[in-house]
Amino acid sequence: MTHDSRSRGLSLRLVGKHESGAHETASVARDVDWSILMACAQEGDRTAYHRLLQEITPYLRSLAARWHRDPGDVEDSVQDVLLTIHSIRKTYDPARPFAPWLVAIANRRFIDRLRRQGRTRDREIPLTTEHETFSEPQANLEVKQDRLELEGMVNDLPPAQQNAVRLLKLKEMSLKEAAALSGMSISSLKVNVHRALKSLRKMLVDRSEP
Amino acid sequence: MIKTPDLIASLAANATPVRRLRPPVMRAACWLLLAAVVLTLLAVNQGIRPDLVRRLQEPAFVVCIAASLLTGVLAAIVAFLVSLPDRSRLWLLLPIPALILWLSNIGYQCLTQWVAIGPDGMSFGEAARCFATLVLTSLPLSLAMLVMLRYAAPLRPIAATFMGSLAVAAITATALSLFHVIDATAMVLMWNFGTAALFVGLAGLFGRTMFRWAAPRTLYARD
Repeated sequence: MTHDSRSRGLSLRLVGKHESGAHETASVARDVDWSILMACAQEGDRTAYHRLLQEITPYLRSLAARWHRDPGDVEDSVQDVLLTIHSIRKTYDPARPFAPWLVAIANRRFIDRLRRQGRTRDREIPLTTEHETFSEPQANLEVKQDRLELEGMVNDLPPAQQNAVRLLKLKEMSLKEAAALSGMSISSLKVNVHRALKSLRKMLVDRSEP
Repeated sequence: MIKTPDLIASLAANATPVRRLRPPVMRAACWLLLAAVVLTLLAVNQGIRPDLVRRLQEPAFVVCIAASLLTGVLAAIVAFLVSLPDRSRLWLLLPIPALILWLSNIGYQCLTQWVAIGPDGMSFGEAARCFATLVLTSLPLSLAMLVMLRYAAPLRPIAATFMGSLAVAAITATALSLFHVIDATAMVLMWNFGTAALFVGLAGLFGRTMFRWAAPRTLYARD
């Protein structure tokens, strides 16, 4: 690959389908802006740096979308580029345009990620649910049985306790969320859960005794 | 996974002032200055080869030494250029003419003077001194180059190491020609080609690892 990074920089700046003079002027102005912001950042201006990173992020996202399909990968790549920029920000020379510097780093990181993914795909097979079922048949069947029994017992509880157990224990909500959803106060939720667990324990003990 | 706005905020909060890198040509000049110092110290310590003045009148020798020196200088400049993100990869072609001239010259001398190795042409003592020169020149220069090029780590580690190694190999070969009588022999060929091949091979295999060792941890935060 012997692309000239400067030409890649130009293609970045002119993203619009119809390149017009106005577009070009705007992109050049933005490049100058970013250059100035980066120069300030190199001198330790945190506000300028924050603004620069915020402004380039949507750009990097659109660039990353050309290389990766998965949105998770796109976001990971963008963060990767941001970290790289941070660690090698002293290599930027404010006398030169900013876009080619940025695009060269970004493309490098995107390609690196694709290569890494390729290597991982070649060597590793992700485990699917079938793998787990075949390797641990006991776990799958038993858990389902226990769950049905437990649900049956929860249905026997008084409605307030049922509600509290379902929200706090089965759906694993926080006290605050459960209170907002059920309309019960936090303290009454706590009391009901406590009582429900006590009754469930009693029911389980009764059942296991002959 | 941390959210992108949070990452930006934390990076901005850590934005301490940094000193910009000097222009690549100036950094290459610093490295070449170090090479000159190393060569001078070696010359003081080991002494220039006795027949240097006579050999300098032979065009083949002069071309060979000039070509290896030029390869070293150009490769050093290119190494510093390609270690920056926004410089074209076409720079990698710059030292090739000098490299071809240098290598073809060694090959030619080897062909024409192969028979010159007599039964007592090469002694162990001389070979050991040659090896000492090789190590004393290439080791400090390689380390200096590795540390100076560490910012290439996340970008083009292999291209930068390749050029850096070529620069070291060429300067080392120049040093060998200046200090030791035995040239145009299998040994010089082996050392010249061998050193270049060794460095290039190591660069291909361990370029990334070596940079990881020389570069600050933050360069590899997410790997």
